[in-house]
Amino acid sequence: MMVRYGFLYDESRCISCYACIVACSSNNYPELMEDPNPNIFWGTMATNIRIVIKEQGRPEQILLSCQHCERPPCVEVCPTGASHVDRSNGFVEIDYDKCIGCKACITACPYNARWIHPIKLKPMKCIGDACKARIAKGEMPFCVEVCPAEARVFGDLDDPNSEINKRIASAKTVKIKEYLGTEPKFYVVRG
Amino acid sequence: MGDIILKNEQEKIKLTRRDFLKTAAFTALALSIPSGGLKLLESLTESEALSEQAPTSAQPLPAYIATSCGMCGGSCGIKVGILNNKPVAAVPIEGHPQPGLCGRAAMLPWLYDNALRLKKPMKRVGNRGEGSFQEIPWDQALNEIASKLKEIVSKYGYKSIAITYHDCWSSYIPLFTYLFGTPNGIPHVSTCHLAGSAARSQVLGIAGPNLVDPDYENASYLLLIGRSLSTGIMGQVQRARSNSKLRIVVVDPRMPEISFGNAEWIPIIPGTDPAFVLSLINVIIEEGLYDANFLKKYTNAPFLIKQDGKPLTEADVKQGGSSTTYMVYDSSSSSIVPYTSASQPDLNYQGNVTLADGSTASVKTAFLLLKDRASQYSPSNASKITGVDEDTIRRIAREFALYRGVADDTWYAAKNGNEYDAVKGILILNALVGNIDAMGGLVFQESAGIPSIITLVTSGGKTYAKTIYGASMPQEMFADSTQKRVDQLKYKLTLGTFDAVLDAILKDDPYPIRALFVIGTTPILRDMNASKVIEAYKKLDLVVFINVLYQDDADYADYILPDTTFLERDEIFATKWTPHAVVQMTRKVIEPPEDSDPREAVWAMFEIARRAFPERAYALGWKDEYADYSKFESQFVPSVIDAILNSVSSKWNVSKDRIKQELETNGFYLLKRKSYYSRPYKSPVGTPSGRVEIYPLAALASGLDPLPSYSPPAYTLPSAPNEFYLVNSKSPTTSLTATILEPSKFLEDRKVWMNPKDASRLGISDGDAIEIESIDLPGAKVIAEVRVTNRVREGVLYTRAQAGGRRAKKLVAMRHFSTNGVNPEFLAKVSLHPIIGYGATNCSVRIRKL
Ligand code: SF4
Ligand code: SF4
Ligand code: SF4
Repeated sequence: MMVRYGFLYDESRCISCYACIVACSSNNYPELMEDPNPNIFWGTMATNIRIVIKEQGRPEQILLSCQHCERPPCVEVCPTGASHVDRSNGFVEIDYDKCIGCKACITACPYNARWIHPIKLKPMKCIGDACKARIAKGEMPFCVEVCPAEARVFGDLDDPNSEINKRIASAKTVKIKEYLGTEPKFYVVRG
Repeated sequence: MGDIILKNEQEKIKLTRRDFLKTAAFTALALSIPSGGLKLLESLTESEALSEQAPTSAQPLPAYIATSCGMCGGSCGIKVGILNNKPVAAVPIEGHPQPGLCGRAAMLPWLYDNALRLKKPMKRVGNRGEGSFQEIPWDQALNEIASKLKEIVSKYGYKSIAITYHDCWSSYIPLFTYLFGTPNGIPHVSTCHLAGSAARSQVLGIAGPNLVDPDYENASYLLLIGRSLSTGIMGQVQRARSNSKLRIVVVDPRMPEISFGNAEWIPIIPGTDPAFVLSLINVIIEEGLYDANFLKKYTNAPFLIKQDGKPLTEADVKQGGSSTTYMVYDSSSSSIVPYTSASQPDLNYQGNVTLADGSTASVKTAFLLLKDRASQYSPSNASKITGVDEDTIRRIAREFALYRGVADDTWYAAKNGNEYDAVKGILILNALVGNIDAMGGLVFQESAGIPSIITLVTSGGKTYAKTIYGASMPQEMFADSTQKRVDQLKYKLTLGTFDAVLDAILKDDPYPIRALFVIGTTPILRDMNASKVIEAYKKLDLVVFINVLYQDDADYADYILPDTTFLERDEIFATKWTPHAVVQMTRKVIEPPEDSDPREAVWAMFEIARRAFPERAYALGWKDEYADYSKFESQFVPSVIDAILNSVSSKWNVSKDRIKQELETNGFYLLKRKSYYSRPYKSPVGTPSGRVEIYPLAALASGLDPLPSYSPPAYTLPSAPNEFYLVNSKSPTTSLTATILEPSKFLEDRKVWMNPKDASRLGISDGDAIEIESIDLPGAKVIAEVRVTNRVREGVLYTRAQAGGRRAKKLVAMRHFSTNGVNPEFLAKVSLHPIIGYGATNCSVRIRKL
């Protein structure tokens, strides 16, 4: 079955509880739980979600993760074809058999959505394995499942009845750095 | 992979190689060039990396068990995922009346076998405060504590034993007080919800912060004053967020997390909330935006009040009349009649009344008195006090009335010493717009009717303390337990003022306290003037610290007893933060880690008592065989749960099996959905008049001004250019437990916030270090890093509470991240409300750039 998965992050509802970040970390990177510096790239936890706070003017916070771009620069620059778009689900994925850890994708990603695993020395990003396993079972990925504020939605953008399409229809959404032509599939409702 | 030995071997190899690789990774990343050598190394470890990366289809999934979260005191419903004998994940329980989750709960995989976990009993080997301990067997710890207790009791009596606690085991504390024959089981509330609880009990006849709450999912306008919804209990957030039409306004000196989203933030000068609230009341009354019908029928607004502040009663006007029948002016009959018989009670009456003794008294309605009081806080006056402009005050007042808003009754609010007045005003505000127990209003919780663990019963002319599981202690054994506690002797209306225990320890005032049990709490991060807490610890004859993790107070303990986490025990209780009547469970989802031997505090307390005062333990149903912890778990705990289930089952007329089954599958059982418009409409509220009292008669009876007013905060106000307010609060990832778990290092902000205008005025930049000295406690100083942000009001510094500035020797030695930042309790002086006994954890400080 072909689907085209996308995410929505509703900044107006998020309460900054960071359950999404913590759950992403412990479930997708349990091997890094005790690592004192699990993600030196972002200076944060071993997680696929990065906190971006804008202090100027009205303070805003976006919890950013891989945008699963339709035209992903990370895939374009990848010399081995490891980074690719899985057309069966719309995820941008990494085939770690092919990946040589050159980090070209990390430089190319305009969203800074990839980080380096300190043991595997390869780029990590959303979607994590534990979440993929959940999705395969018809469950929500961890960050969506744990959010107490209904600030996260995940689903098939090709299905007009999906929860995510309903939310996109009912709220004003923006996509980050759309002008770059990356065609992100990560919708944001501004606060 | 299935072979355990093989797996361990692999892990060992992985560890060593991993450490090496990490160094290599750091170097490579620092140089930012993909190095050929590194690539080679990677290919060497390729198979290893891939072996961790099991194919998606084979990815083992955790098995989920429905239980309750204990990362903070909220007890939200969560499912814990267990994989390979470890708790690895937490997800909310769908449909739970108080569903998780938040960052704290998500951190539970880190709690289970954390390096800071207390694993075995420990005994102090150095001086108090040095933090040197030695592991000892349970038996030795219990015997030694028991013999010390016996010695103390023989010299100073049972009441020289005190127990302080927070939410953990709170339902068992009354049992512990009977067990040890002392009245002094004293909770944390003086730095938490005490002021609000006093106001709630006087205005609404109900104390506890969870017994009345906004109906978040149905409200249209939520006003948060002294409350941010980000502190804990994400179920409330969930309910608020499920309501897409809800507008949220938050009044706070610093921007709470919720205002990153769609909540309007009104920055206010710290400690001026009562003036703000009174100004809203002023606008609503002056502009006639109140619900007159509600006020007349369901509040004491029309009660006639004499010049001495007392209500006019039937006894005043009629010989032999009742002194609890309050009088109102009935405009339909143009006469003064009992409030229960007036058809058209007048809100605006004032005049003279002839009393039964023939004298004349001038009277005025409570409503007019409130109106007079509020008129002192016109928006222009209040604006000068609060720093909120007049137009905003007027707008919020009008919006609140027109939307029929609900103002949150607050919870963790002891910040400035004047919260009693603020909360009283907040409750009155809700009454003014008639939004009490209405859908979307401030609603009373349906009681699940969970019985207390121990109650006094009289039979055959004798009184017994009877436990829910059937044991009973005769009166001659518990004389001390039913005396007034040390805090109640000082503060008439207190529900818990730990500072009174400190005075009893340090000054024998009113009598000596010599032994202290600190159960599931940490006064050093909880109570004002932490240095006084430490001084008291040093003077005690016995300090027993019972907890899950090594917290600051452990340094001062003689004995440290490891408690079970919420993952390792069974408990049953009423769901706290929901309007519905619900029973819920915490379940043992896993055995404690192999190298540890934690025991429930209940077991430890009984076993200490069995050794010290066996007759007391036996009277309360303890048996020798419970010394075997597995018997305690398999017999005693189930007997308590069963007794509670029996009582719930018979109260609600549902079969016990059905409740049990739902508890097992869903983690909760819904007994009754909230039915709106019950109190005060169909049945009275617990006030003297049975009505919502905007002029609380209980306050009057306790010598308090019944009407709210504004008085400045309990600390010296900042005045010099380098002086600031220092305010504090928790974030959605703060709890005493969560803030020392690894994720907190990255998620909790331990910097002290400063407004950009103040920063530029003082030449301070983001990341600079400053020294912060308390103005009221000279010499009390801390050092912190500054975050320059417009998320805090000018003239105000903000720090997290209970997150940073930890001083436990063990944490300092580890250079643990939680030692960064500020523990504001070292800077706040003790100043307690003389009647209610609550304190102020905010303070004023002088800063110096380092
Ligand atoms: S979908 Fe999974 S991997 Fe991606 S951000 Fe959410 S929790 Fe992390
Ligand atoms: S967000 Fe970055 S990593 Fe994700 S698909 Fe787009 S370019 Fe690639
Ligand atoms: S879990 Fe939801 S509310 Fe919490 S930080 Fe993530 S998006 Fe925000």
